Amino acid sequence: MHEGAPAVSRRNFLAVAAASGAAAVATPGGHAEAQGVAALAKSAPVQAPDHAQMEAEIGTPIKVAATMAEPGGRPGSDYMVDVLRALDIDYVATNPASSCRGLHESINNYAMNKKPELLTAMHEEVATAMAHGYAKVSGKPMGLLFHGTVGIQHAVMAFYNAWCDRVPMLVMSGNHVDAAHRPPGIPTTHAAQDPLALVRDFTKWDDQPGSLQAAVESLTRAHKVAMTPPYGPVCISLDAHLQEGSAPAGQIRIPKVSRVSPAQAASEDLREAARLLVAAQNPVIVVDRGARTHAFQAMLVELAELLGAAVVDQLGRQNFPSHHPLNQTSRARGVATAADVILGLELNDFWGIVNSYSDVAEPRQGRRIKEGVRLISINSRDLFLKSNYQDFQRFQEVDLAMAADAEASLPGLIEAVKAALTPEARAAAAKRTAAHGTAVAKQLERMIGVDATYAWDASPISTARLSAELWAVIKNEDWALVSRDVRLSNWPHRFWTFDKPYQYIGDSGGAGQGYGMGAAIGAALAHREHGRFVVNLQGDGDLMYGPGALWSAVHHRIPLMTVMHNNRAYHQEVMHVQRVGNWRDRGVERAHIGTTIEKPHVDFATLARSMGMEGIGPIVDPADLGPALRRAAQIVKAGDPVMVDVVSQPR
Amino acid sequence: MKRLVMALFAGAATLSAGLTSAHADAARGREVYTKVGCYQCHGFEGQGANTGPRIGPEPIDVEALKSFLRNASATAMPPYSEKLVSDGDVADIHAFLASVKKPPAAKDIPLLNNR
Repeated sequence: MHEGAPAVSRRNFLAVAAASGAAAVATPGGHAEAQGVAALAKSAPVQAPDHAQMEAEIGTPIKVAATMAEPGGRPGSDYMVDVLRALDIDYVATNPASSCRGLHESINNYAMNKKPELLTAMHEEVATAMAHGYAKVSGKPMGLLFHGTVGIQHAVMAFYNAWCDRVPMLVMSGNHVDAAHRPPGIPTTHAAQDPLALVRDFTKWDDQPGSLQAAVESLTRAHKVAMTPPYGPVCISLDAHLQEGSAPAGQIRIPKVSRVSPAQAASEDLREAARLLVAAQNPVIVVDRGARTHAFQAMLVELAELLGAAVVDQLGRQNFPSHHPLNQTSRARGVATAADVILGLELNDFWGIVNSYSDVAEPRQGRRIKEGVRLISINSRDLFLKSNYQDFQRFQEVDLAMAADAEASLPGLIEAVKAALTPEARAAAAKRTAAHGTAVAKQLERMIGVDATYAWDASPISTARLSAELWAVIKNEDWALVSRDVRLSNWPHRFWTFDKPYQYIGDSGGAGQGYGMGAAIGAALAHREHGRFVVNLQGDGDLMYGPGALWSAVHHRIPLMTVMHNNRAYHQEVMHVQRVGNWRDRGVERAHIGTTIEKPHVDFATLARSMGMEGIGPIVDPADLGPALRRAAQIVKAGDPVMVDVVSQPR
Repeated sequence: MKRLVMALFAGAATLSAGLTSAHADAARGREVYTKVGCYQCHGFEGQGANTGPRIGPEPIDVEALKSFLRNASATAMPPYSEKLVSDGDVADIHAFLASVKKPPAAKDIPLLNNR
């Protein structure tokens, strides 16, 4: 203590300083706990120390100005908003976090919650799924704003889904990296030296810039990386002192944003691919995440028709019209077995086309297709891989590998095919097209005219009946499906005519549960400006990972018909446990333990209603289904989300 | 696959006679069908799904069904030993599958005709 300083005991000073701090954060509507501490401070018998007293007590001056706005400066987070606008980011989904309060406040009061607009999510995993679905419809990233530690930890699985599904999103997280200036307690608990290390294995790029100028440049670079095929999630840690600091107007330069041209395959390789395809007797095109934009589908139709090639759509995106005569997805195994040339477009698992694997007690694997089949690959995944997580699947040797974006390469391939086609090859292609069309029409007739009729009046309701009833409601609308239908035995893809490039967006990518509802909301948000009628076929187990998503749909008034495929189980897992039980001759009677969602049944309609969403059901009698769906359609057309709970057959 | 099915049917033909559905109990068969999890892949009515083919209402011969259940280890379906599903259970399951009401014809279902 230096000489002449007023006598303030250490105990009294600390008590007053703590109480003052508490009072500073206790705002109207603030936490009761903080208000309680503030109330205690009010009645404390000592006065707050002045600056001299504080200096005398701790021996060094306190200066925290580095984190506060300089007089005449613009808040750092306002510059960040300027960048988001330059990047054409329309929405930022968030679960609020103190380490992001600067940017949050700038979006509220500087951007006036317009471009970007904040979307409130009740879990970071849901927010990330919203960004995931949104990007696949809009073609551009959504922003995400999370706590740097606990928020990112909540979101991790959803990042992995986005990584596997090659979906861009711009994640911004807060941090307090400077130990000398960060607030003690929770903000320090939430601080990290390297907060994005946790997700580095499955994000394309991350950074933690050290200055405001570096921050705006990092955001711009991140967007560029995310939007360069293969797309992917990117993360920037924006330290609180950058958000809450300031810089004079004009001092920070917002970088120019430029579109990155996707990599095209080399023209000589495209000519060689064309030569092989035109010479083939049974060319087959297998496509997974081919459609990066809405332009892809028309190009793939043109290529397939030129070649008379069977197309097997693995449904990672809306790649090919569902009822085109060359769509041989339902005959995939047969056409692959007959193929002499296979072109793989943006395949995640070419090995699985060439080989089979039987999940039996003693697993077997072997070649599925003929020896000598020529394999051609165009895949942007070859341009960017990481080591740890194995989403790149088994290695498949091919005859011609083009590390390039398939969509960007299709125009060159189509031209090369046109140049290589002879009149004889064109005639052979026409013959193949007719044969493929006949075969698939016959199969479709059997599926719709025979298979769909079985269990038509059953309860639980059959997935064929559910799909047919839904089709009757949406077929005259400008509709889009924003979920995968494999768990409904693909009945929608058999019944419904998917021919517009926005009518389907694939699945989660990483098969991480908790994706469905959030992704559907994000996708429906992107469809909203086009006035489309959006349907989500929702799994019951998946929704229960983040049911708060329902609230976000209502709060932001996003029209969406969610049809709960309520089979009251994690059904895939029931089958797995069942299978192992039988292999071990122990039976399946206990397979329901840990796998079913019964006792009690979840009442999804009531769950929806609890968050302000109209809930219909549970629908048990198939005769009630049509009227329920028609009522739900009216709600969606009025601009609101709705839930129809349908107690369904397992698949 | 075709060869496998042929082999299974051939095997079934050599099995001892006596497993018939003449005295089988369809109501009990439905209970067993549910209890041993057949419905998980084939549906509650045996209608089939992308996880397993249709097996009702006109099931394969009861001996063939039994043979398939016992020897299913070569397929995606898990095998059911005598310990897990007795011959009597198989007969009852078969009776249940045979009792499932035949579906209406597609032509009589408007939703399947106005696509």
